[in-house]
Amino acid sequence: MSDRPIHDIETDVAIIGGGTAGLNSAMAAAEAGCRVLVVDKANIVHSGAIAGGIDHFMAFLDTGEKWDTREAYLGYVASVAKGAADLDVHNAVYCDELAAALKRIERIGVSLRQSDGKILRTASMGQPGPYWINFNGKQLKPKMAMEIRRRKCTVLNRVQVTNMYLHDGEFAGFTGFNIRTGDFYRIRAKAVVVATGNTNRMFNAQTGNPFNLWYCPANTGDLHRAAFDVGVALANVEYVRMTIVPKGFSAPGFNAFFGMGAQLVNALGEPFMEKYHTMGPKAPRNVMVWGALQELKEGRGPIYMDCRHLEKKDLEHLFFTLGIDKDTLPDFFRAKGYAKNGAMIEMTVSEPMQARPSELCGSGIRIDRTCASNVPGIYAAGDASDQMGCLHMGFAGGFAAGKHAAAYAAKTKALRPLNAGAMKDEEARVYTPLERKSGITYREFENVVRVITTDHFGPVKTETSLTGALEKLDRLDSAKAELKADNLHELMRTHEAMNIHQVAKISALAALARKESRFQPFHYRADYPETDDEKYCGLMVIRKQQNGEITTHLDRLQYAI
Amino acid sequence: MPAVIDASKCNGCELCDLYCPVDVIHMENEVAVVRYPEECWHCGACRQECARGAVSIEFSLAMLSV
Repeated sequence: MSDRPIHDIETDVAIIGGGTAGLNSAMAAAEAGCRVLVVDKANIVHSGAIAGGIDHFMAFLDTGEKWDTREAYLGYVASVAKGAADLDVHNAVYCDELAAALKRIERIGVSLRQSDGKILRTASMGQPGPYWINFNGKQLKPKMAMEIRRRKCTVLNRVQVTNMYLHDGEFAGFTGFNIRTGDFYRIRAKAVVVATGNTNRMFNAQTGNPFNLWYCPANTGDLHRAAFDVGVALANVEYVRMTIVPKGFSAPGFNAFFGMGAQLVNALGEPFMEKYHTMGPKAPRNVMVWGALQELKEGRGPIYMDCRHLEKKDLEHLFFTLGIDKDTLPDFFRAKGYAKNGAMIEMTVSEPMQARPSELCGSGIRIDRTCASNVPGIYAAGDASDQMGCLHMGFAGGFAAGKHAAAYAAKTKALRPLNAGAMKDEEARVYTPLERKSGITYREFENVVRVITTDHFGPVKTETSLTGALEKLDRLDSAKAELKADNLHELMRTHEAMNIHQVAKISALAALARKESRFQPFHYRADYPETDDEKYCGLMVIRKQQNGEITTHLDRLQYAI
Repeated sequence: MPAVIDASKCNGCELCDLYCPVDVIHMENEVAVVRYPEECWHCGACRQECARGAVSIEFSLAMLSV
């Protein structure tokens, strides 16, 4: 172990996670004159949720329509994300940053317009007007990576962050290892932005393969876990997010289908969403999932995306745009034999995941209007925060987080020290699975976690089911001492598996404390099936105290709009 | 098999290995190999980056049959 190269790096602002939010944070911190270091488990050219492309960005554009204003947008947020979205934070990190974000996308070389020069906007998910800008974002991530190079940020690709450290209650730094060389990194920074997305591979997936997922399977809650362990408060982590995906392939496409006027129908050919919401197929996502689950449960499945009534040009646009959001989805439809005309595409409910209950909030590190967590020096952005979700907030809010982290770094005189003993201990912990000749693989361990979570809260929960899950997940702690990895790829997966396991516990504990249902089925307590705004309209905040005790409390949210 | 690489077309440029977001492609004897096919996310980043058209996408029996 002692012959592994060790790298000590110092910077002003470190960004952990080089996806949409992280790269925008990096741009902002560099613009503020800071030395910036971006650390990503993959390569920032193609990493994170939009690694293969993206085709929609939510925005109000002040065109004069009454739904197209900041106030109307915030009213929409309040109506569909009540109890999870903090409007004060939204106003600061998204609304104030939106105009600059739209300009930034086009400046780095991605047009938000169609070939005719016009902006194409569509509506779904309970929006009062067409807030989605449909665009060709296939090159958005590579172009953002070019901008990071242009701004001379330092990038550490293929480094998995393993733990965070404080000094006198303030952020000091973090450790990590290179997943190809095995080199160990000890990094000190004045401030950090955590932008590592949500937690996937936490529940069983539709085909049984935990990598056939809607969201990026490399996002495994690594920093949710590490931040939580140093006392960072998390919120909205009790929610279990799902969507409607093509049967066999958990790929995005939901927005594109409904935006183009496709209908979700049951096996009897009936469009069923009107039964569940007045907005029918344009209802919020959780209602769509709830409706689909009821149809499947009551024997009216399978369900289909009925595209038979679409005009040829709309169908062609639909298949084109599906391939922007998920590069290989058109190949899948061809392989399944779906013709372009008259397709009835079989759909299903996706795997659950630890993620935001709505497009209009996040699930993770609790942030204030400056994107700061409760620990000085630690900021969060994008899906890893409790308030940002989706491309629009990752892009706009990521920039806000970078600005505030840079301001904090500027007023911080000196880097804080990393404790030498803690560094030695972490180095030993990180590489131990490589030294075991026999033991349990990450595949087996992760599968056990998924069976427990799916059986006990994926998605239906009760006090009994959650308590049972926690007992089983706690018993699994002892298996960690037997995890083995045969190479560095497996070592990365092994640490991911342990993080998924810990986030599952945190999610179950937060779910126990919310004794109501909200955004059902995303938080559906069968023992408390009603939404109780009087007691639970707010964020369930969970954190580990200095004595190790885990506590929860409700941060109430007010909605004047 | 998800991403499938035609070794006869691969020029060893390493871009698919470099950019795979889930670390499933590794170089072996200067040819890109899908070492962990069961961990492919089917994001298509490798195919987008391959200048030689060496990457094709195949879907598993489960994906096409369930």
